[in-house]
Amino acid sequence: MTSKVIKKDALNKTITGWMRSYDVIAPVSSKEGIHFRKISDAKEFTLQGNQKPNYPPKSIFLPQSEVLFEIKDGSYSMPEAPKRRQIILGMRSCDARAAWLLDTVFNQAEELDLYWARKREKALVVSFGCASMCSSGFCDTVGSGPFGKEGSDVMVTELDEAYYLEPLTEAGEKLTEKLDNAESGHSKAAKEIQKSSVVKEHTQADLSKINEKLYEAFDTPIWKEISESCLGCGVCTYLCPTCFCFDIVDEVDRSERVRNWDTCMFRIYSQEASGHNPRPSKAERTRQRIMHKFAYWVDNEKASGCTGCGRCVALCPVNLDIREMVQVITGLPIQ
Amino acid sequence: MDDFGQVRKEAARILSEKKVDVVLGFKSGTIPLKAQPAFITSAKDANTLILDGFCQNNLAVFLHDLPKDKRIGFICRGCESRAVRALAIEHQVKRENLYLIGVPCSGILDWKKIQDEVEGPITSAVDNGKEIILEIHGEKQTLKRNAFLVDSCRTCTGIEPVGTDVIIGEVHLLDLDDDELPPTWAEEFEKHSPEERYQLFTEETDRCIRCYACREACPMCYCAECFVDHIMPRWSESMVTRGGTQAWHLIRAFHQTGRCVECGACERACPMDIKMTYMTDKLNADMKKKYGFEVGADDEKQPPFATITLDDKNRFVS
Repeated sequence: MTSKVIKKDALNKTITGWMRSYDVIAPVSSKEGIHFRKISDAKEFTLQGNQKPNYPPKSIFLPQSEVLFEIKDGSYSMPEAPKRRQIILGMRSCDARAAWLLDTVFNQAEELDLYWARKREKALVVSFGCASMCSSGFCDTVGSGPFGKEGSDVMVTELDEAYYLEPLTEAGEKLTEKLDNAESGHSKAAKEIQKSSVVKEHTQADLSKINEKLYEAFDTPIWKEISESCLGCGVCTYLCPTCFCFDIVDEVDRSERVRNWDTCMFRIYSQEASGHNPRPSKAERTRQRIMHKFAYWVDNEKASGCTGCGRCVALCPVNLDIREMVQVITGLPIQ
Repeated sequence: MDDFGQVRKEAARILSEKKVDVVLGFKSGTIPLKAQPAFITSAKDANTLILDGFCQNNLAVFLHDLPKDKRIGFICRGCESRAVRALAIEHQVKRENLYLIGVPCSGILDWKKIQDEVEGPITSAVDNGKEIILEIHGEKQTLKRNAFLVDSCRTCTGIEPVGTDVIIGEVHLLDLDDDELPPTWAEEFEKHSPEERYQLFTEETDRCIRCYACREACPMCYCAECFVDHIMPRWSESMVTRGGTQAWHLIRAFHQTGRCVECGACERACPMDIKMTYMTDKLNADMKKKYGFEVGADDEKQPPFATITLDDKNRFVS
């Protein structure tokens, strides 16, 4: 596919053009930091350096609370699907990869999640690579990288005077077809930036060995040790771009059935109606989180469920670092 | 040996003399600007203990989780010592099983504010109690501490650890005679009308993702079952709505009336930077004004709202 360029001062014009046919969802800056929302002016789009919002853009496809249907006058109705096509602009590769991973959960023909799929099929992901990795990120060790391509329709590399766009899918190619073709100088500069973006000391984690060691450790007391300082809040999982657990409840007062994010780190997540809790302590709950990311995902998809975005590392109130935990359990580094 | 060297030595001593089973303190974090809670069980590990402005938790939060008969050494700052007192009054810890090592505190730093202040990735950060020294692209950069102190530490009135077994080091008030310091969030809040305050409260709580990090980081939030987790019958809707979230924040704050130790651990745990202490501080101020009650002031007095006496002038108890 043909790579394209947009001169820096023409970016807003391109985005404005896209906005005629698409809803553009992009990171915007407000006093609370940056977060994704639909923009009404191309100027709202802000993305500096390797910034990304703390609140993960998985919420675009899997909102924290989503009404599945409501009952009115004895009949059911589903909320309407988004009418216009969407461009998710400025996702980082860690988050785009997460959407790609979550497609294996929600977007498989034989067990399609309608609510995810109908949003996802309308959306194009135009991701922006990170020229330098963020301090808590480790995407380049878990199968991706600051310019990882999975989940993106178009990947953007910021050059000195222009943006270099690589269409990765047919839809991405169509979106960018009218833009100027990149010249060999652009491609060379982009390759250079992409190459130097990774941290030299980082190495690929050995996922199959980690998987094996985690199963070996399943019944050992190590989980109690590593989870001692865990507070049991939902920061790591709610902010994780690939954590997708939800709970379905009936909001009887409003005659709605709703699904809400849920997290294995909460005590009541696994609490049964009888009062019995098969994951009674932080040890079992932490084990579930680590096993899911680095054992079950690897079993099912041959890929780590962790995209190395580093949100859980940076925002855990007690700095429980998933890399450190995996290393303590398995003796194998993720760095 | 500096003062903290003495603290490590004391921690090693109580472990090797088997006075305690574990010492609670902090160790270095895995990334700059961070520290981790440490549970030290062997005297030889006591030298990994640290204390600086990046130690953002109130470690008393772990006390009610640990078995009641466990003997615990606890390196505590003023707010953490108040939490121990408040927990003992509420029968959540056995004071006789604790050995409290009081330490001076130079205040907790807002790591996000530091990160936002500078350009480029911070590869190392040192807080020496006087200034913050960062390394960015191999270059040293020094920041003044006061501008990065969290509000709770700027307004702290109890920096001296209370009811400890020993105090190591010289406790002194923070020198905040700095005209450039902006008003705290609570001071700003006070300037507004009730309608504007509701607007501010709404803006803050609208960002809430109901991860309950505020609750879990709080030493005084220890209910075996929080009201929001109560499902038979359900006391709070699970759907994240503005009303539900506002109810969560209000009820959480009211449950802290005369109980909150004003450490600010809730705000520091919040991944969405939601302000919360302005409410609990205000409720505590009311407790002081109306009942003369201060959290952590002594070992006996129950919080006013937890006290029932037969001669209560209100009719509902008679």
